[in-house]
Amino acid sequence: MSKVILKFKEAVLKEIPLDKESVTIGRNPGNDIHIDNLAVSSFHAKLINQRGQFFIQDLSSTNGTFVNGRRISESVLNNNDDIIIGKHSLIFVSPQTQEEDKTETLKIKKPAMGETIIIDPKKHKAMIEEARAAGQAGIGEKLGGFTIIEGHTDKREYELSGRLVTIGKSDTSLIKLKGFFAPKVAALINRTKTGYFISPSESSKKLKVNGNAIEGRYELKDGDIVDVANIKMQFYIKE
Amino acid sequence: MKFIAAGKTDKGVSRQNNEDNFCVDEGLGLFIVVDGMGGAAAGEIASRMAVETIRNQVKLSAAGHEPFYGNYDKKFSEASNRIASGMRLANKAIYEASQSNVAWRGMGTTVAAALLDGAKMSIAHAGDSRIYLVRANSIVQLTEDHSIVSEQIKRGLLTKEEAESSEIRNIITRALGNAPSVEVDLDEIDIMAGDIFVLCSDGLTTMVADDVILSTVAAHDEPEKACVALVDIANKNGGKDNITVVLAYLSGEKTFSKKFKNLFGWHRRE
Repeated sequence: MSKVILKFKEAVLKEIPLDKESVTIGRNPGNDIHIDNLAVSSFHAKLINQRGQFFIQDLSSTNGTFVNGRRISESVLNNNDDIIIGKHSLIFVSPQTQEEDKTETLKIKKPAMGETIIIDPKKHKAMIEEARAAGQAGIGEKLGGFTIIEGHTDKREYELSGRLVTIGKSDTSLIKLKGFFAPKVAALINRTKTGYFISPSESSKKLKVNGNAIEGRYELKDGDIVDVANIKMQFYIKE
Repeated sequence: MKFIAAGKTDKGVSRQNNEDNFCVDEGLGLFIVVDGMGGAAAGEIASRMAVETIRNQVKLSAAGHEPFYGNYDKKFSEASNRIASGMRLANKAIYEASQSNVAWRGMGTTVAAALLDGAKMSIAHAGDSRIYLVRANSIVQLTEDHSIVSEQIKRGLLTKEEAESSEIRNIITRALGNAPSVEVDLDEIDIMAGDIFVLCSDGLTTMVADDVILSTVAAHDEPEKACVALVDIANKNGGKDNITVVLAYLSGEKTFSKKFKNLFGWHRRE
C-alpha cells in the first residue's frame, strides 16, 4: 500500500498509510493528517487516490503546497516525491507493483471544478511507463472488422481502419447496403483507442447485437453478431 | 459542399474572465475552438495567439506562400497537414512568449480545429476541447481527450461514466505552449450531406450530456440559434467554466418530410 512519511526538518514524525480514497492534511484537528503549525492552513491539502494513481491537491492554502520544489495547485505523485507544507515535508512512497490498489473499489465523489491544469510532461511520461510496466497498455490498438453473414452488401469482408465507418446506402458508406428500401445511414462505427463503438441511426431503429436491441452507443466485442437493416454480420478483432 | 456555420463563447456563471476563444472562417472552411489556461490574463493571451496563428498559417499555406512547419505526414491530406503545421507554429509562438515574460510562464491552450476540404473534413486537436459529428441523428465524438481520465479509460481502469464525475478530470496531458514541441492528433472524415460538426470547450461538455447536444443541434436549422441554446443549457446546469461552441451545418438534401414540414408551416402562418 502507498504511504506518506511525515517529516519535520530531518526528523521522521510518522508514517501514514494511504488507505482511503482521500486523505486530508491541515492544522484543523479534523484532518486525517493533522499538523499543528501556524505555517499550515486549517484545511491545507488533500491526497487523492484514483484507481491506484495518487494526486495531491492544494486547498487554496495560504502558504502553498510544493512538490519537489514547485508550487502546485494539483499534481500527480510519483514514488519518492517530496511534498512541502509549511515547514513540514511529506515523502510519498508507493510500492513497486500497484496490484493491491487496483482491487480497491472507488466511490467517486463530486467533481472538483478546478481550473484546467496541464500535467508536467516528465510526470506524464513516468505515468505512461509505469502503466506499461503494470501491463495496462492501450487495448484498442488492434484492428477490427466485419464478416457479412447474411444480406446484400458490396463485399463480404470489411476492415475497419478509419476513425469513422458508415453503414448505409450513401456513397460515403464503407459497408454499402443495396436495395431500394435500405437506409442512407443505418449505423455509425467509431474507432477509438479504447475500442470500436457502434451507434444506430434514426432511420434504423432496430439495431441488434447478439439478438438484443441496442439504443445509443455499444462497445463491440470479438465475435458479436450485429443485425441491422436486413444484414447480419460478425465483428472480429485481428490478432 | 456548402455549409452554414456560427460560433459563440460565454464566460459562464462562475468565472471572472473568458479564456476561451474561437474562429469561424467561412472562406477557408476553417473552424477552431480553444481553451486557454494560465494565471492572470495569460490564458486569454495563449488562446488568442493560437487562433490567430493557426488561421494565418492555414491561409498562407493554402495560398502557397508559406512552407509547412514541422514534418509533413503523408498519411494525411495537404489540408490536414496545414492545420497541423498551424498548431505546431502556434505552440512555438506561445511557448516562446511564455519564456520571455514571467507573468506568462506556464500559459497554454487546448485546440480543436476542423478544416473542410472537398469531400473530407480534416480534424485536429490537443487537450480536452472536442469535436463531435452529428450524422443521421446519431452523435459521435471524433476526438479523444488528452487527459488523465481519458488515459485511465483507455487502460480499462475507469468507465466513461466514472470519468465524468472524476475529481481529476480537469488535468490534461497535452496543450499548446507548455513545451518546445507538441504532438498533434489528426484525422479525416468523409463528409455526407446533412452532417453537423460540433467543436466545443470542456465548459460545454462538463455541463451538457452528449445526447442533449445531439437533440439541441438537431432541433435547430440555424447554427446561431443552436449555439445560443447550447450555451443557455450549460449556464442553467451550472456554467462552472467558460463555454464555447462552434457549429457547422453541411447542406442537406431536401427530404420529403422537410418539404412537407415547410408547406405545413406556411399554411399555419396564413
